[in-house]
Amino acid sequence: MRTGTVYTETVVHAAPDRFAADTPYQVVLVDLDGGGRVAGRSCGERVAIGDRVVELGPHGDFLSFQKL
Amino acid sequence: MLSQRPVSITGIGKTRFGVFADRDLRSLAVEAGTRALADAALEPDAVEALYLGNFAGPEFTSQNHLAPYISNALRMSGIPSTRFEAACASGGAAFFHAFLAVAAGVYETVMVLGVEKMTCQPNPRVTEILCGAGDCGPGGEMAAGSTFPSLFAMIARRHMHEYGTRREHLAAVAVKNHANGVLNPDAQMRKLITPEQALSARLIAEPLGLYDCSLVSDGAAALILSAAGGGRSVEVLGVAQASDHVALDQKPSITTFPAVRAAARRAYAMAGIGPDRIDFAEVHDCFTIAEIVATEDLGFSPPGRGGFEALQGTTARDGRIPVNASGGLKAKGHPVGATGVAQLCDMVRQLRGDAGPLQLDRRNVGLAQNLGGSGATCVVTILGNREVL
Repeated sequence: MRTGTVYTETVVHAAPDRFAADTPYQVVLVDLDGGGRVAGRSCGERVAIGDRVVELGPHGDFLSFQKL
Repeated sequence: MLSQRPVSITGIGKTRFGVFADRDLRSLAVEAGTRALADAALEPDAVEALYLGNFAGPEFTSQNHLAPYISNALRMSGIPSTRFEAACASGGAAFFHAFLAVAAGVYETVMVLGVEKMTCQPNPRVTEILCGAGDCGPGGEMAAGSTFPSLFAMIARRHMHEYGTRREHLAAVAVKNHANGVLNPDAQMRKLITPEQALSARLIAEPLGLYDCSLVSDGAAALILSAAGGGRSVEVLGVAQASDHVALDQKPSITTFPAVRAAARRAYAMAGIGPDRIDFAEVHDCFTIAEIVATEDLGFSPPGRGGFEALQGTTARDGRIPVNASGGLKAKGHPVGATGVAQLCDMVRQLRGDAGPLQLDRRNVGLAQNLGGSGATCVVTILGNREVL
């Protein structure tokens, strides 16, 4: 599984209908160790800029990460 | 540009911005266009082309093919009428292309009109429509549940991390723009707020709260662009448009917008001046952090200092460089496609000395910055009177 570092994050409280049931949820941009930056969700414990995360694999049509 | 002649704004017209349940998109556009024609003392048949700025009329109202829909309602029949879409910079993009055509001698007189009718949709649907200005592809930012507030929230978080910007700095922008909006009879939100109110407001996307976000609005703005100057006209001293990645995750840095810097650089070069010669500015404060980043990218503040300077009053009405004396998108309202044109209308009123209670003392040269999405389009325009430069 890919690992990386949180570049930035936010917790979303106001969402479109299709994500409303998930609120509040955390969206992150992650700098992958192998290069490149991707958008995804952080699942479980909230993360902050600089935290190390691991990809959990595809979750629906978005990437999910968890704190290492 | 191969050849270029002076181009001026010779007429302006706006509707009020707000929530107008009884008004449809076309009636707003016609009101603004009619006012601009009257202000320029022109009959509709003098207009040779319509450049329409509109972000998402089809999604908000189901009406497409908007430009001829509006030009014919304004009795400007038969003329080329085209809609420009560049997210929140749709109005600015329409203006930029209208300017090119007049400057190149294709037309003598054209109308630029921006309009958006948003409040006919419930807020979650508005949020979803606005998401269309980001990367909606599989695995992208919007698929992960981003919203526009959340993209700018991530920009704010990073700006705080890199530069020590604080929520108090964001609140200072909201407090200032609300105070300016109180003076503006056309503003949607005429309400003073305190820093404490801004800081304790309901969270939208952390760290952004309700008062960090601009409004959902109906409204239209129009102007006449002409090769003939004189009278109450105001010259376009510089204008440029630039673009960048749509997806936030594709940008090497999210605390500066290359499209803003590029458009500003070209507009300043065209006007033959630098940021120190700008008397006042209307910048794209879709979110408080956007105003802070804009003041840095436009050269009014050093990188990272925009928030500190907002808190110190540098951008207040009586500060070194008044920013958003109109109340900005924050208080004036943000009918997306109208915003870029409305900024220019507000600047023309200042430059004419015709801004009533909003009038600033220093008002020879103004700059407008209109941003699309999370920085993928930017239009920067400098207006003024060449004689005073």
